[in-house]
Order: sequence, then structure tokens, then C-alpha cells
Amino acid sequence: MTENPAIPVRDKPQPIPASGWIAPLIVLAYVIAAAGVWLGFWADGWGDITGDMWAAPSSDHWLGTNRLGQDILSRAVAATATAFEIGLLVAVASSVMGGLLGAVAGHYNGSRLDELILWLKGTIDAIPFYLFVVAIAFALQGHAMAMHLAMIVAFWTTTARIVRAETMRIGQTGFIQAARAGGSTPARIIVRHVLPNLVHVLLVQATLVFVAAIKAEVVLSFLGIGVQDSISWGLMLAEAGQDIMAGQYMNFMVASLALFGLVMAGSLLADHMQDRLDPRSRHRRTTSLTRRQHQP
Amino acid sequence: MRLRIELLRFILRKLTAALPLLFGVTLVSFTLTVHFGPDPVHALSGKNPTTADLAALRRELGQDQPFWIRYAGYLRRLATLDLGHTETTGEKVRDLVARTVPVSALLLGPGFVLGTGLALLLAMFAAWHRGSRLDRLITGASVAGMSLSFVIIIIALQAVFGVWLGWFPVRGWEVTGPASYLAHVTIPTLAFVLASIGYNTRFFRAMLVNAMNAGHVRTARAYGAGPVCIMFRHVLRGCLLPIVTRVVYSVPALVISGSLLIESHFSIPGIGRVTYHAMLSGDQPVIMAVVGLSAVVFAVTATVADLLCRLADPRIRLA
Repeated sequence: MTENPAIPVRDKPQPIPASGWIAPLIVLAYVIAAAGVWLGFWADGWGDITGDMWAAPSSDHWLGTNRLGQDILSRAVAATATAFEIGLLVAVASSVMGGLLGAVAGHYNGSRLDELILWLKGTIDAIPFYLFVVAIAFALQGHAMAMHLAMIVAFWTTTARIVRAETMRIGQTGFIQAARAGGSTPARIIVRHVLPNLVHVLLVQATLVFVAAIKAEVVLSFLGIGVQDSISWGLMLAEAGQDIMAGQYMNFMVASLALFGLVMAGSLLADHMQDRLDPRSRHRRTTSLTRRQHQP
Repeated sequence: MRLRIELLRFILRKLTAALPLLFGVTLVSFTLTVHFGPDPVHALSGKNPTTADLAALRRELGQDQPFWIRYAGYLRRLATLDLGHTETTGEKVRDLVARTVPVSALLLGPGFVLGTGLALLLAMFAAWHRGSRLDRLITGASVAGMSLSFVIIIIALQAVFGVWLGWFPVRGWEVTGPASYLAHVTIPTLAFVLASIGYNTRFFRAMLVNAMNAGHVRTARAYGAGPVCIMFRHVLRGCLLPIVTRVVYSVPALVISGSLLIESHFSIPGIGRVTYHAMLSGDQPVIMAVVGLSAVVFAVTATVADLLCRLADPRIRLA
């Protein structure tokens, strides 16, 4: 029997594919690299000049040195910690903000409060992200946390949209109506009944925001309005843009591979989490990766 | 006749609904770039100004007015395109924008069209052969493409075509005719297509696969319609709304980041490089104009695209 593409095909339940194990393991390796930096085990000398300009890989400098003679491996590992700091901060803060505002909007859907939250979301979505960062950096006169603040304010909207829709769906179900009939306050219903049922949505979305924040950091640091007084893959790539004109590719290869690996593993992890954690995912129209995300 | 009146009322209502959005984006851009922006009074006053001098200058600039009056003044200046002069060269911001936006449009237009078009074709191909090895290859490659940062793509293209092969100029914008235009636009176009094709293909494929499940598509196939006819006439029409919305909403993320990155890195005199320099030097009139105008233009575009989609789709009631 030939398969007819125009006839709906029911997805069969599938075992976890190989990539389902690889992605979490890769992310774990990055976590260990970052944790080692925080605990001071390695890479604390990323700013020290320890070798010659553009030295080739050797036992002292496994991946060579940059223009100033700094160790590229140390810099890439230290940048992993920077990426995690930004990614985790933005993911947690925007998930809390998006989760609460989305749940409130969904619970009171159609009310003035819902309209206000939707208006805020629409406004922020309509301002181009990079110009928003520029404007916030401008208003805060170049404060080091301007980028973080801008990302949190810009990235909660997708989470809020999804949480709002899910809250409205859950609100129709019996147990929420029972809780309401039993006299629970709206705050209690949201915190005790709605949000715990949306943990899987928030987890997947937080992972996607984590990835988006790291990608955005690279672009902003490359442009010179991102990370200050530290090291990041974006700053390494900014150096690399100069290095390649001199025929030196090490900085570029290391920084882009490190970035690509974490972003790819993070995206795949989010996708698998969506499949595994959401009981209804097989009937979903879209997977997590097809959602409209900020695309740096 | 009655239908036409209903249509008109529908359009009017849609445009009215866009007003709060316009209010929002202008309010945010005013608050961030003008209200909290650096105080120009000290830069404008002469040496050793007295308090009275400063107060007089503030009054002259209208800074002693309450917030809402100043906001209204900002709106009036945006609407009349009276945007002041740049702080670096003293050129009128309006002229600067008018001079640089066409360069950016020429630079990024081909990449935007090609990136969207190629992604749509790839997605149709993958959706038609859903579940096959080719489909898995396309889907896998698009996830990899999504993970490539725009920055990586730009540096890699610069290394390959600019440094190794030397086929295309990677710096500047000396366009005198079609040949030099093609030479200069190739690398930005490649960069743009590579940066956008992953996201687009994956999203389009998901939408197409969903639309292919509709009954009328099966009927068309049973009658023997070919793949091209089915895909364009029956499937694509079934999922036009999310696709158009997606393409429109990818403009601020992709086009603006693209013009900032490509133009600043390759020294191309478009609006992106102007913004980049203004942002590094803190040139308030330019930042105010770029943030304000782009937010307004985008809010209007999104509303019009939404309107067109609904008009194209007869299932959506006008009332």
C-alpha cells in the first residue's frame, strides 16, 4: 500500500530517539563547564596574557591564543558561564512575569485587566527588539544590566500568550469550576490550580527563552551594546571578525562551535520536553520550535 | 452594496483597533528615548551657565511642560516628520532617514523575498513527502539552521567569499549600476537567506502538514490534481493567515537585526549603520526617530496585513 500524503496519518507512539538522549547530555556538559567557572575550578585566567599573539595550539594553550595572547579555551569556557548567567536570569524572570500575567489575563479574559495586559503585550511585540534594547540602554545611560532588563521585558510576551490560552482552556474544566464554586479566591485558583497544571508549558517555554537570550546576547555583544567587563561568545566573535582578516580562524571556530552546540542542544531539548511532558502534544498543531520566537 | 458598506465598516473598525497599539509604541519610545534620555540642556548652553540660563533654555525647549504635553509634542513631530538634526553632522534627521532607508531596502529586500520563497518551496516539498527520508533531512537541516547565529553566518561568509575566494566585495556600497549592485548584494542576501530559512521552513511545514489534513485536499487528490495544484491552490490557501502573520512579524526581528549587523560589519551606508553609530555615540534625535518611526511603521504594517488576510478569507464574518 502506498502512503497517500493527502490522507491524515496518525502518528505512532515512538521510542525516545537517540537525539533525545544526546541533547540533555550536551546541555549537561555545558552546565558542568559553567559550574566549574563559578566554583573557580578553571578558566579564571581568561583575561591574563599568557602567550604570544595568535599562538598555535600547544600543550599550554590547547586551542591557541588570540591577538593579545590570551588563552582561547579559557575564554570560551568562561564565556559559557556568562551565557548561563544571562540565559538563566532572563528565562526565570520572563517565565515568572509571563506566567503570572498570562494566567491573570486568561482567568479574567474579556475584562479590562485582560485588555490591558494584551495591550502591553501587543505594544512590546510591535517594537523591534534590537531597537528596544538600544532605547533601554539609552535610557539607562549604558548601564551594564540594560541588556538583561530589555530581554526580560521583551521575552515574557510569548510565554504570556501561551499561558493565557491554556488558562482559558483549563478554566472550562470541572475542577476549576468546582474550586470556584467552593469559594476559592481567584489568586488561590491561579496559584494552586492553574499554574501547577502549566508547569510543562512553562518549562518548555523557559528553555526556548534561555536559548533565545543566549543568541540575542551574542548579537548585542557583537554590536557593542551587550556584555561589559566580562567575556562572552559575542565578544569573542567580535574579535574573530577582525582576526579572520589576518587569516586567523581559531577564535571564530571555537566561539561559534561553542555557541552552536548549546543553542542546538537547547532547542532539541525543548522539543523533546514538549513531546514527553505534554500529554496532548501528539495532537498539537505546532511543536515548540515552530512557535514565533524572537529570532536573533 | 450592503456588503460594501459592511466591508468599509470592518476596515474602519480594524484601523480603530490599531490606535491603542500606536499609542503604546509611541508612548514607550517617547518615555525611553526622550523622557529618560540624556538632558540636552547642558550640551546646548554656553560655558558656565547660570541657573536662570538653564531654566530659560528648558523653557525654550519646552522641557518645563508636563509629561503629556511633551508627549503630544513628540507625536506631532513624529507625524509631521519634523525630527530635528543629528548631533554628529548636523544633517536633518528626515533627510538622513530618506537617504539611508532605500539602501537598506535594496540590501535586504532580495534576501527577504528569497528566504521566504525558498523556505516555502522546501516546506511544501517536505510536507508533500511527509515522513520520508527527505522530509527528515529538511527538518533536521532547518533545526541546525535555526541554531546558527546571524553573527556566525556573517563572519563565515566574510571569511569564505571575502578573504579566501575574493569573489565579492564584502565592504562598502559602491553601487553604480546593475552589475555592481549584484556584486554588493550577494553576500548580504546569502547571509539573510541562511539566517531565516531554518525558522521559516520548519514553521511553514508544520502549517502545511496541518492544512493537508483537510477533507477538500483529499478530494482534490482523489480527482487526480497534481502536487503543484494541490499545494498552491488548496493547501496554501488553507493556512495563509498564520504564514502571512509569521512573515510580517519576522520583519522586526530579522530585517532590523540583519540591517544592524550586516551594515555595521560591512560598512554599508544604510539605516542600520546610522542607528549603530547613533547608539554608540548617544545621538538622541536619530535614536528617537528610528525607534519611533520603525515602531509606528511596524504597528501599521501588522494591522494592514491582518486586515488583508481577513479580507482574503471569506470564512471570516465581516460583522
